[in-house]
Amino acid sequence: MTYTLHVNGDLYQLDVPPQRSLLQALRDDLRLMGTREACGVGMCGSCTVLVDGKAVSGCLTLVPQVIGKQIITVEGLAKEGKLHPVQQAFLDHHAFQCSFCTPGFIMATIALLTEKPQPSEDEIREYLAGNLCRCGSYPEILLAVRWLIENRPSDSWESIPPEEQPSVETNR
Amino acid sequence: MRAVGQPTALLDARARVDGSLPFILNLTLPGMLYARVLRSLYPHARITRIDTSIAARAPGVVAVTTGRELAEDGSINHLYGIGHPDQPIMAVDKVRYVGEGVAIVAAETIEQAEAALDLIDVDYESLPSVDNEFDAIAPGAPILHDGADRNIIRHFKLRHGDVQAAFAASDYVIEETYSSPAAQQVTMEPHVSVAQFDGSQLTVHTASQSPYGVRRVLTEIFNLEPEQVRVIVGPLGGGYGAKGHVRLEPLVAAIARKTNGRPVKLVATRAEEFVIVTKHAATMRIKTGIMRDGTLTAREVTSWWNTGAYADAGYMLTKGGLLRSIGPYRIPAVSADAYQIYTNRPPAAAFRGAMAAQGEWTFESHMDSLAHAIGMDPLELRRRNLLREGDAWATGEVMHDVHYRDCLDEVQRLLGDEPPIERAAGHVRRGRGAAVMMKNSQSPSRSEARVALRDNGRATVFTSSVEMGQGAHTAMAQIAADQLGLPVDSVDVVGPDTAQTPFDQVTSGSRTTYMMGNAVRRAAEAVADEIRQLGARRYQVQPDATTLADGQLYASNGQCLPYSDLLQWAGLPKIEMLREFQTESKLDENSQGVACSHWHQGAGACEVEVDIETGKLTVTRFAGASWAGKVVNSAHARAQDQGNIIYGLGQTLFEEMVFDGGQVMNASLADYPIPSLLDVPYVLKTSSLQSEKPDAEMYGIGEMTLPCVAPAVANALYDAVGIRIRTLPLTPERILRALREKDGLSVDQVEEGTG
Repeated sequence: MTYTLHVNGDLYQLDVPPQRSLLQALRDDLRLMGTREACGVGMCGSCTVLVDGKAVSGCLTLVPQVIGKQIITVEGLAKEGKLHPVQQAFLDHHAFQCSFCTPGFIMATIALLTEKPQPSEDEIREYLAGNLCRCGSYPEILLAVRWLIENRPSDSWESIPPEEQPSVETNR
Repeated sequence: MRAVGQPTALLDARARVDGSLPFILNLTLPGMLYARVLRSLYPHARITRIDTSIAARAPGVVAVTTGRELAEDGSINHLYGIGHPDQPIMAVDKVRYVGEGVAIVAAETIEQAEAALDLIDVDYESLPSVDNEFDAIAPGAPILHDGADRNIIRHFKLRHGDVQAAFAASDYVIEETYSSPAAQQVTMEPHVSVAQFDGSQLTVHTASQSPYGVRRVLTEIFNLEPEQVRVIVGPLGGGYGAKGHVRLEPLVAAIARKTNGRPVKLVATRAEEFVIVTKHAATMRIKTGIMRDGTLTAREVTSWWNTGAYADAGYMLTKGGLLRSIGPYRIPAVSADAYQIYTNRPPAAAFRGAMAAQGEWTFESHMDSLAHAIGMDPLELRRRNLLREGDAWATGEVMHDVHYRDCLDEVQRLLGDEPPIERAAGHVRRGRGAAVMMKNSQSPSRSEARVALRDNGRATVFTSSVEMGQGAHTAMAQIAADQLGLPVDSVDVVGPDTAQTPFDQVTSGSRTTYMMGNAVRRAAEAVADEIRQLGARRYQVQPDATTLADGQLYASNGQCLPYSDLLQWAGLPKIEMLREFQTESKLDENSQGVACSHWHQGAGACEVEVDIETGKLTVTRFAGASWAGKVVNSAHARAQDQGNIIYGLGQTLFEEMVFDGGQVMNASLADYPIPSLLDVPYVLKTSSLQSEKPDAEMYGIGEMTLPCVAPAVANALYDAVGIRIRTLPLTPERILRALREKDGLSVDQVEEGTG
């Protein structure tokens, strides 16, 4: 089957079977390696991406489910070499060790603060409990999120890039 | 400003937040094939027939091999293992655990490799199996390894003083038995290796904590010279001991011999991770003599380590386990025995805080039991008996740089008395507990480092220490920067790649900051000496009349020159130095002598809430301390101290691999939970303690606050509700059951938990 995926502002044509997961499509077909598999069953959040602004597990989502939707991965966050404020906050607060889970946490944090700009401590913990960090960088992640809540950047927070005429690329 | 001690961001921090960090998992090479492994469904069985002929002809399949084929190949040595080579690359005549490799397929796609596994025909003849360490040593137990007469691989012992006489002279002698189950390290990045043969030249890209260990084993298996095996390691998505020794490398190299030079990639699935390596399940019996005033007189410990079907790294780990089962106390008479035991389970090896976690669980819970028996405050009992500077320990060695008490004082201070503990509030009860940590460092041990200063003014550290998020590479850059008089961002770190970075034993056991740190310091110091010599020649002053700072050489006569200009003046493209650092140890057959040059030290203290209606235990406050000597990177030292506590809470409260008939029943993160943000105590405070001496050593702190977590929490549970649980994890079912038993209710009145 041929599907057109809208990823990070670009359109990609994929010739894949309908059971292809979004995670596989991103990693194996589009070579976007920031989205990662650690559990494969939607428990760890390492494959979290934004689909129309909502945090979604790439391993539990099939390619046909996201046709016509805008997908943002960690590779789509930095603009003209400048990190997204959430990426910068994670960096500034040392909010990672091995960093395998970090892109997933960053995507989930963007979704959290987009949905709820002023979450309480418990709301942060509840929301991000779907992302696992085995190194245990949780305290620094909390610091980064709290800093973002206090210092919400004034420039565009939008995670969805502005509409443009994307060029179509294919994987075959 | 000196770099050491600063909260320096990881050198590759940007790649860590933009998703571009080059994990081996991401690696694709031209022409690369994908491998899948057929694994045993039986815990113990003879392989009576194996037929791969149909699989070999399946679509996309390029190569298939079996354990038997490898065993019959006269050109390779198919058995490996550290100190006790008993493990075949894949099972030959029999399988010894569920999940053991039987055959491997390489195909054009991973789906084709997976599909081909179904076409391999294996006939098994089931054999009786043993799951736990006691069944394995019972008379008549099935023997795992042909030719052996028992399932004990090795018995290590320590004898120090007359324990029986001391027990006889003690006011009390108290004996308890503790156990802790197998657990999974759960690195978020699974094991992954890529192997390629170019003629007789083997290149392996692998997620390993031990590049030189992998190279040594591969040279032994495939009869290659060290120069013929190149091992390249990328940044690791977690290690925690799981990647401390060879894992997938022999398998993927074995199939890569048959692919006509095409590289082969093998990635473990999450379910496979649970059968590749585990934490040792262990049972320990501890017996201590004590006087009414709290003086410890004698201790006897016997530990049984369930090492799984193969010795793996468990051989040397069990020796460590012996030393880690005793405790940091002045006890005149000590006797300890440690048994490494085969069972039909996946191999057990290092697990963050290796073997110390099981030992600490035992002796630090036991310390509270001793205190309660004589009616003394548990912290007072510890302070009375903790090792002090110059004391002799159970090995007979004199202990130096002793800070157990400092660590204990620190966690008590961090936990604080404000607000005062509210002991009872209806169905929620509160308690506090503490524990002290002691672990011998790996010894003997050796690390080499090469440092180069180039004529562009930048320096490179060549190291085979592995960066797995602990900040090793950044720490090495900080250490080199200070010696060279350079800012950290002028220092690059290269490695590990055995073709260009020198020897390092392994990145584990909190050894890197001390061992590799000293090797890097020495190499950078040697480079700095050369710069001074050049500067002395350039400006006609004595070398000690020069100063190195900010990338420039300053001469006492007021002149200065950037390193780049100095090297160009001298016509040198670079100044490069290799240095090593090593430690020695010597223990006799009774473990008397010197175990190591440095003992890891730490402590933990916590406050818990126990819901007596549900059995739910919540750790509300936790304080941890580690002895660092000198902190290299304050941000990442804190991350290690905190991360250890959070990691340790998993094995304390819920992590347990559940086996049924040799099969892991919860080999998925849906069934094997690990700590999430919901498990992080609301108050979490840590501290890495430092020496006031300017020349203090820099010690690793990668595990110090982990082993104390389980006993500290169990001691707090006892403080809260008066129950002593001697089996981990401290699940609500166990707590509720113990509460009912304490109240004299039948255990049948408690619903049985399911797992």
